[in-house]
Parts: sequence; structure tokens; C-alpha cells
Amino acid sequence: MEKITHKRWTLISTIILLTGAVWIWISIPPTGATTSGKIPAPQTGFLAPDFSLQDMDGNVVTLSDLKGTPILLNFWASWCPPCRREMPAMQNAYNQYKDEGFVILAINSTNQDDIDTASTFVSDLGITFPILLDTYGQASKDYQVRSLPTSFFIDQNGTITDIVIGGPLSEALLRIRIGDLLEKNS
Amino acid sequence: MLPILNIGPFAIQLPGLVILIGVWLGISLAERLTRIITASDLYNLVLIALFFGVVGARLGYVIEYWSEFSDNHLNIFSLNLDMFNYYAGIGSSLIAAIIYGQRKQLKLWSTLDALTPFFAVLLLAIAISHFASGNAFGAPTHLPWSIYLWGTQRHPTQIYEIILSTFTLVLIIIWSKKPLTKIDGISFLVFMALSASTHLFIEAFRGDSNLTIFGIRTAQIVTWLILAMSLWAIGKRLAGIKIY
Repeated sequence: MEKITHKRWTLISTIILLTGAVWIWISIPPTGATTSGKIPAPQTGFLAPDFSLQDMDGNVVTLSDLKGTPILLNFWASWCPPCRREMPAMQNAYNQYKDEGFVILAINSTNQDDIDTASTFVSDLGITFPILLDTYGQASKDYQVRSLPTSFFIDQNGTITDIVIGGPLSEALLRIRIGDLLEKNS
Repeated sequence: MLPILNIGPFAIQLPGLVILIGVWLGISLAERLTRIITASDLYNLVLIALFFGVVGARLGYVIEYWSEFSDNHLNIFSLNLDMFNYYAGIGSSLIAAIIYGQRKQLKLWSTLDALTPFFAVLLLAIAISHFASGNAFGAPTHLPWSIYLWGTQRHPTQIYEIILSTFTLVLIIIWSKKPLTKIDGISFLVFMALSASTHLFIEAFRGDSNLTIFGIRTAQIVTWLILAMSLWAIGKRLAGIKIY
């Protein structure tokens, strides 16, 4: 390689860089082609998949009805220790931010949980945000939840801005993420 | 795609595990191939850089959002992997590596050459972690080799990344055994140029690119600049001109 003259190396480099520049130019995507948020998928940057689930009082909650509202979607079960540990932090955050239009939807994986145990846990802790019942596991399937807890932060446009797999969520992280969502909303 | 591996009661985040294995394999390979600096210096350098990288990334995050941590200091030690400032992590990792290198009187270019197999394995591990998580996904396409991901058929950009990173790694291993030149720094700079080129190429098929002026993909600008700097530095090193 030492045998390559400086002049020849300059020529090789120029050809490589020009080829790179042409490649950059021809790979400019058509408008909207890289906007991943147009279709629903459980991934950051995409629309949050829609669902309609009953809460513990029998009211039906539909995600798309809440468009315009920043949301924390949390999948949990009463047998899952980190899910139980992060609930008080979520309640504190909800108390702090609900007046600013922030909503928490805690989806209980009812198909793999005991509803009575879950209900007792919720009332013992004094949880006031809606607890939705994923009786057939469809929402967990649509959001490809493979581990509990899993939390999705959704902005006012219905786009997933962040996913946190596992827990417990620290209160600091919760407040930072919610703050980001509300800032975007204002 | 398999972001979570459930083993009994444990849910293991596979992308993170793949990167950890990559770090370990990368250090082992670099140790085996190094002829310039001692295996123990190399091992210590990487571990010190990683340790200070993690600590610095968390500290950077805490400083950035100090108001959220000031009333509950225990949150600083939370196991949440989302609470990192990557720029602070890279900065502190580099500073730690430079201080260690100076104390041990390691030569910059020969140390970077010795570390090149480690970087190459790490890039391959990152590509595999993208495949596991489904991140760094491709643009929609109907090509016969497209894969169904995130609601539509897409370019398997993660597989492109794995193939090209493997190709780069194989070249690095061959060149480590039979060096292209005796000039220090060339192996590292050629690796930088190669990996910048492959990422510049693959980015064209990505479906999640950030765009800048005229709709140009930002990552392509960055990789093109890295390529240009690497080629310039190779030219200078070959001509025997000191560039640092």
C-alpha cells in the first residue's frame, strides 16, 4: 500500500467521495416515504395500534377517542413484582399531571391474571387512573408485549414516542418522559 | 425479530445481550490478534472506557434533568436503561481511554489498529441487535427478499447490515494477520472508511431516516464526512505526514 503515490490516492479518494455523493443524491426518498408514523405498529415513530377495552367499571375506552391527549399506556399484571412496584410512581405522576391533560391507561393482562387479585391490588393502592381489562389478550398481541411491565408513551397525534420494556419505571424517568410529551403538546 | 427472550421467570432483552456478547468476543478477538500492545493493556483499556462510558452517560442524564432527581437521589441508581445521555457517555469513555493510554504510554495509531477487530465485532453485534429488536428498519418495498415488519413488507436492512458488517470483519481479520502496510493507523482508518461506506450505502434503504435540507438523509451526510476524513487521513499517513 506504501507504493500508492499521493497523486493516485487523491484520485482514488475523489472518485470514492464523488460516488458517495451521487449515491446520497439518488437515494433521496420521495416525500413521505420515510414517515413511519402513518401506519399502526408497536414501534417508536409509528401510530399506536387502536383498541377498545372495558375498564373495571364496565366502561369502554377506545384509544383513538383520546387523540389530542398525551398518554402513557402501561401493560401489567398483579403477579408481576416490577409492575406492582411502579404503580405508586405512576399514581404520583398521574396526580401531578392529570390537570394538564395527561392520561394513563393501565392495561391489565387479564388473560393471564386473576381479576379479583388485580382488583384488590388496585383498590389497596388507591389507583385512580383507568385500569383496562385485556380479557382475550388481543391488545397485548397487537402491541407485541413479550414482557411485563411494558410502557408506551404516546403523543397527542397518537404516535408512539418511546417504549420502556421492563421495570419498575423510576419516578424521575416517568416525569421526564411525561414532561417531554406535555411540552410537545403545548 | 426477538426483542425479549423469556427463560423461566427472566425476561432477557436480547439486543442488549447480543451487544454484551459482542463486547466480550470483540475484546477476545482483539487480544488474540494484537501484536502491538499487550493483551492486558488492551483488555483494561476497553473495560475502563466501557465503565466510564456507562457512568458518564448516567451522570450526563442526571445533570440534564437534575430537577427530577434533586428530591429523590435514589433514582440516580435506577436500573432503567433509558436514563442515559449518549453524548456524555461517549465523551467520558474517550476521556477515560485517553488518560489510561497516556499513563501506559500507548501510541495512538497503533492502539487504534489493535482495537480495530474489537470495533468490527461490535459493529456486527449492533447489526444483530437491530435484527433482534426490529430497529433500524427498511423502507417499504415489494422486492422478493422483502420481510414483513411493522405492518408492511420492507427492505431487510438489518440483514444487509449483518452481511456487510460480517464482510468488513472478515477483511479486518485477514488484514490483521497479513497487514496491508507497516504504517500505524492504516488498519483502523481503512476500517473506518469501509464501515462508513457500508452504512452510507445501507442508509438509502432505511425507512426511519431523519431527513435534512433537500430531503437528504442526515446519516448519509455524517457517514460521507467520516469517509472523507478517513480517506484524507489515510493519504496523509501514507505520505508520512503527522496529522495529530
